[in-house]
Amino acid sequence: MAAATSNPPAAMAVLHALGRVPSDACGALVRKHPDGSVAGAMLVERGRVCWAMSQHYRRRLTDILVDEQDTLTHAQLTELFAMCRRERMPLGETLVARGLVSLPVLHRALLRHTCEALDHLVREEASPWSWVAHSGYGYHPMLTFSPAEVLTGVRAIANPALAARARARLRELVRGDDRGFAIERGAKIPLAQIHCETVELATLGDLAVHADEVMAVAATVDVRVALAQLGVLACASWVEHDVLFVLLCEGELAFNRLLAQVATMTIIP
Amino acid sequence: MIALTAIVERVQDCVVAAWVDIRTGNVLAQHPPRNDAFIAPALDAAIEVMRSRERPPRMVLLADRHVHIVQRTARDPNRVLVVICDRSPNLGLAVSIVRMQLEAVDA
Repeated sequence: MAAATSNPPAAMAVLHALGRVPSDACGALVRKHPDGSVAGAMLVERGRVCWAMSQHYRRRLTDILVDEQDTLTHAQLTELFAMCRRERMPLGETLVARGLVSLPVLHRALLRHTCEALDHLVREEASPWSWVAHSGYGYHPMLTFSPAEVLTGVRAIANPALAARARARLRELVRGDDRGFAIERGAKIPLAQIHCETVELATLGDLAVHADEVMAVAATVDVRVALAQLGVLACASWVEHDVLFVLLCEGELAFNRLLAQVATMTIIP
Repeated sequence: MIALTAIVERVQDCVVAAWVDIRTGNVLAQHPPRNDAFIAPALDAAIEVMRSRERPPRMVLLADRHVHIVQRTARDPNRVLVVICDRSPNLGLAVSIVRMQLEAVDA
């Protein structure tokens, strides 16, 4: 399901839609076709995205699950899906409880499905988002997503190869509970992130803006990496292939730890 | 202001130390008075980086051959100490010494 180059605005459209939802609200952001039929919706529960659907996004969660975990078969999933529907059991939790998929795989598959559906939904020729309140969907919190996760996922669809490289680079460098994200220079939404799920997107954006400004000046004197101390947080930033990488390290001696790490790091020019 | 000579003596591999005023962009003092081609642009870059009040008080910039340690004083945020050292395994120690020197001034 490759997306067109209009994806960065797509991620921004999702960002603006989510920005309108009160942080404690539960309900659906819905878009409709001119004939009144539903084009798609994004379910939101207390600031977290639970699910998204789009009329023009045909891929099923079961397809993604089989894609993510090759020990699963469509037959197994179809049978389980029918049983869950019949007995009103939650599909995700049942899959995990029966050991058919691990929680991280299910989380990844659900996130991928939600992001791809949103990527389609924002392109639909449909009405602006309207809010339909709900008393709550009761999704397991582990199977819902922060705005940062969803928007990064939608953003990555535009350039999957670049996003995959950025994610792989972050995996190499982010240690323990440290955090990291990668963002194209001048962009507002990251391409990839590790452990930044709970960080406000605006905070990541501010960090990126400052880091980018510093790197723009620092590059004039061949500086490759900038480190900053922000209270208990230490932040390192550098640029590789026009992608800005930011590592965040918190706690005692955070600055020294990060300094020791980046001092020996090879920057890919 | 702490004596730049003391910093240059204590920080191993120190190339130059300088006080700069980020409001005026002036170099207030520098030791030793070297004029290697990279020093003036490095001080200008430090001034430019720290000019924004939103920048954190302490930054370390790693270049291929040098390390630029840039730190504001708590007493006067417009006054910034810039210490440029050669890249060496003593990097962490250099940063700690500069910080301790400034903390002594601000205490």
